Formats: sequence, C-alpha cells, structure tokens
Amino acid sequence: MSQSHTSAQKIASLARIELTDEESAKVQSEFDSILEYIHQLDEVEIPDGTEPFFGATESTNAVREDAVVPSFDREEILKNAPDSDGEFYRVPPVL
Amino acid sequence: MSVLDNSIEQLAQQVSSGDVSAAQCVDASIAQIRAQNDSLNVMISDCEDAARERAASIDAKIAAGENAGPLAGVPIAIKDGICTAGHVTTAGSKMLENFAPPYDATIVQRLNDAGAICIGKANLDEFAMGSSTENSFFGVTKNPWSTECVAGGSSGGSAAAVASGIAPASIGSDTGGSIRQPASFCGITGIKPTYGRVSRFGLIAFASSLDQIGPMARSAKDCAILMNVLSGHDVKDSTSARNDVPDFAADCEQDIKRLRLGICRQHFEEGLNEEVKASVEEAIKALESLGAETVEIDLPHTKHAVATYYVVAPCEASSNLSRFDGVRYTSREPAEKLIDMYSQTRKVNFGEEVIRRILLGTYSLSSGYDHELYKKASQVRRLIKNDYDAAFEKVDVIVGPTVPTTAFKIGQHAQDPLAMYLADIYTASANLAGVPGISLPCGFSSDGMPIGLQLQSNMFWESTLLKAAHQYQTQTDWHSKRPQS
Repeated sequence: MSQSHTSAQKIASLARIELTDEESAKVQSEFDSILEYIHQLDEVEIPDGTEPFFGATESTNAVREDAVVPSFDREEILKNAPDSDGEFYRVPPVL
Repeated sequence: MSVLDNSIEQLAQQVSSGDVSAAQCVDASIAQIRAQNDSLNVMISDCEDAARERAASIDAKIAAGENAGPLAGVPIAIKDGICTAGHVTTAGSKMLENFAPPYDATIVQRLNDAGAICIGKANLDEFAMGSSTENSFFGVTKNPWSTECVAGGSSGGSAAAVASGIAPASIGSDTGGSIRQPASFCGITGIKPTYGRVSRFGLIAFASSLDQIGPMARSAKDCAILMNVLSGHDVKDSTSARNDVPDFAADCEQDIKRLRLGICRQHFEEGLNEEVKASVEEAIKALESLGAETVEIDLPHTKHAVATYYVVAPCEASSNLSRFDGVRYTSREPAEKLIDMYSQTRKVNFGEEVIRRILLGTYSLSSGYDHELYKKASQVRRLIKNDYDAAFEKVDVIVGPTVPTTAFKIGQHAQDPLAMYLADIYTASANLAGVPGISLPCGFSSDGMPIGLQLQSNMFWESTLLKAAHQYQTQTDWHSKRPQS
C-alpha cells in the first residue's frame, strides 16, 4: 500500500528539518518504497488481546532513594553551548 | 609479532607480571593506527596522549606491586557514539564534530577501573544508523580483508580495529545488528548482550528500547573477559538489569554436551548465499561433534522483523534526536528566529540517512498520517517475542547465519536504502525481543571474505552463548585468521 499522498515537506517541517523541493521529492520516492515494504505488517494476523511490546524492561519499575547528589558544574555543561551568557543558553527570539 | 597478537588473558597477565609494559601496548596500538588508518579509516580520533598517561600510571602501579586489574594495559577502541570525558565524541555526525562530553560513559569508567586503555574512538554510521559505516560524516571504513568492501555497520570501525590489529578488543553498540553484522563481515567475534545487561549511560541514544552496548574481540573467551567487566546494574541507567552477573570467562570452560541447538527453517530460506549456508551448516556439524543436539524450531514472525524494526527504531530515533536542535550541543546555524535556527541547524548537520529515519519516525508517530503503524508494529513485536519464548522452551540456543551474505562492495546499496536494511534480517529480531546474540567466524567465501555464525539464547543466558562459541573455537581456527596488511 503506497502512502504517496503524504507530503514529505510537511513531515519535515514537523521534524524541524528544512528540505528543498528537490530533497523533498527524493525523500518522497524513498518513502514510497520503504513504506510499501513496511506495510507487509498489515498482513500479519494479530490474535485478539495481543498487547503491544515496547521493550524488555516492561515489568520493572526502577526506584531509588530521593537523595540530593552532586551533579555537573554549570560551567562544564555550558562549554558545549553554541551560545550562552555564562549562566543560561542563549537562543534567537522565540516570537 | 606484536604484543597485541596475544589473547587478552595472556596480555593482561604479561602486563601485570611486568613482562610487557602498558607503554609497549600503547606503542604497538598507536603504530598500527599510523600504519592502517590512512587506508582503512577505522578511527575518527586517537587518544594517544591520554593513553600514554594511563599506561605510565598502570606501569607505576605494577612496579609498586599493586593489582592493575583484569584488563591491565589492554588497548581498547571505543565506538565514537560512546562518551569519553573531555575527548571529542562525534557519533559519526557533523552535528557533534566538536562535542567534548563532560563525563565518561559508565562502561568507559568500568574499563578504566579494570586497567584497560582507551586507544581511540572508532568510526560508525552517523548516530549508529546504518549497516555499512558508509553513513559516517568522517568517511567510509574499509574492510581489512578487502578495501573494496564495507566493514559492516554501524560498529564498522570497532570491528575493523580488531580485525586490523589496532586493538585486541573494541566496544560497539547494537540496535538491530550493529555489533554482530560488522563482526561477521570482518571475521571477528562480537556479542550483543541481553537488553539491560550492560549500562548504556553515556551511549548517545538511537532507539532506546533496542540499543545495547557490547564487546568485540578476536575470540569468545576475550569477549567473555570483557563481559565480566562491562556487565551489571548501574544507578545511572534505570533500564540496566539488577540480575546477578556470572563469571562469563570461567563458564566458557564448561562443555556443551546435550546443549539443545535450535535450527530455524526461516533462517535458511531464499536470499541466503550458498557459501554462507554451507559454512554455517558445517559449523552446526562441528557443534554436534562437541555433543550438542539439534532440534528444528519455528520462528514464524521473524520474517517481519525488519519491517517491525523500521517502524520502531525510526520512531524512537525521531524522539531521541530532537535534542540536537542547535541549543546545547556545539553546532548551530545562525537564523533570525528560533524555529528557523532549529530547521537550519538540523538540515545542515544531519546526514541523509539520519534525516530519512527522523522523517520516517515523525511520519509514523504523527496523528493523521500513519499512527496506527506504531501500534501494529509493537503488536508484531510481541508476536516475535512470543516466538522466542516458545522456542526457548525447546532449545537452549538458536543457531544460524548472522548475515545472508559476506561483506558487500562499498557503494553497492547506496541508491537503495531498503536493500541495505535487509542486511539486518537475521539480527534485528534479537533486539526487538531483548535477547542476546553473538556472531563468530565460521569460514570464508571463495573470494576470501569472512562468514559469520550467529547464536542466540534466552534473556541473560550469555554464558551459554559464550561457552558454545568458545568450545567451537577450541576446535576450529577461523577466529585466528588475520587479513594480509
């Protein structure tokens, strides 16, 4: 089943990745063949009551003592910031 | 002969007894990087200065009569998707070209505590997305057995580092086959442990319900020694398992009489190269001659593993990689507005395959598109897991090929992402279910390329895998073959 009506450009804007028209057309055609393959899943018969499986740690609930422990120095973390004022990350205007 | 040709056990003993210095190990490893890296492109960066300092402190410890640890002086290459404090960690991406993490991954810490020396950071497909290491921003890693072929991926640099003698062991990560497939292509041994067995704190996340770190080395015994160091619960990774950790290396010495080997018909059907098939069948006979018994099993849903994987993994990746937005991790493209800054930064700094997978994941998770797909895939994932559960009622180990072919030519699948994805056909199901798997060399094709045998077991049964692989390696010498450099 092809999903070619999907707009790659729209998906890209949701994912915050800019695409040119040319790139978008290429992604679109690759998507078509990948999705056609993936949609083999439509043919799998799912017995009633089959719970989705999200990963092998599904039954564990990890808890720990709620204790204050030292974390990283702000200075260390901000060394990797593209832009900061020494205390906070700095970004272009939001609005 | 280089000191690095010895087994890890021998090497660590020689260093601990003072017969060989840790400094000599580092010299040998750095010399190999110099000799090989220009042609093979195995390492993204080396840690020469830090490694020499570490070696000096290990040698001083030994001179003072102290215990330097079970991996004393052993040089190890670390996949560059794993954080090393203060040393650039790129994940094979332009996005992290200049990123120096403020901390070590837990496994790096554990290796250091055991006396190992990180010799450098190994190449990988960008953010571990790929099966050939062709998707690295830092160029393709070539296969030490033939420079026309890929080393596999995504841990292609880690596999090639061992095969080319740069290091006797390396660390990789495996999300859909990324340790086992390159191990197979490069003629080495590599194990993907059970989900949760090894801490992932400091592994740059790709698909969190599938990712697992594991060792790669020449032999199963070497992998077992590393597993002893890497395994165990970590407070910094809440998904790490609290299960007891056995002595994997000691367990290797047990025999495999009456071990029940499951043979899955689906692993020997169309698409499997004839030479690979013949070598794998030969290996099964060798295991039988050691006392193992074979049983036919059925894993009816494994044929949907790749389709399931390419829903689940991109969904998780699209979420995990949203953190690379130009705010925190070194790279940013200038723009007037915040949203444009995000979109520009991600366009310029992510490679083609990473963008493809982020978009695929965004598509599958977006309301109004195909959001039923994720649910369906997660249900099929349950059926795949149920298949394993049923199989492990009857057998201890599932045996088959790691990959349908030997290493393919560089560029062979460049225009067809789907063909590349099918390289994961025998490996992806283990990640979906969470079970461990090991790949070990079991022969060569007529054109001299290594063939890999895969063994899989139930959750937390790595000892059984390592034991079977080790016993096989006591009877065969495929794992001791070396490429001509």
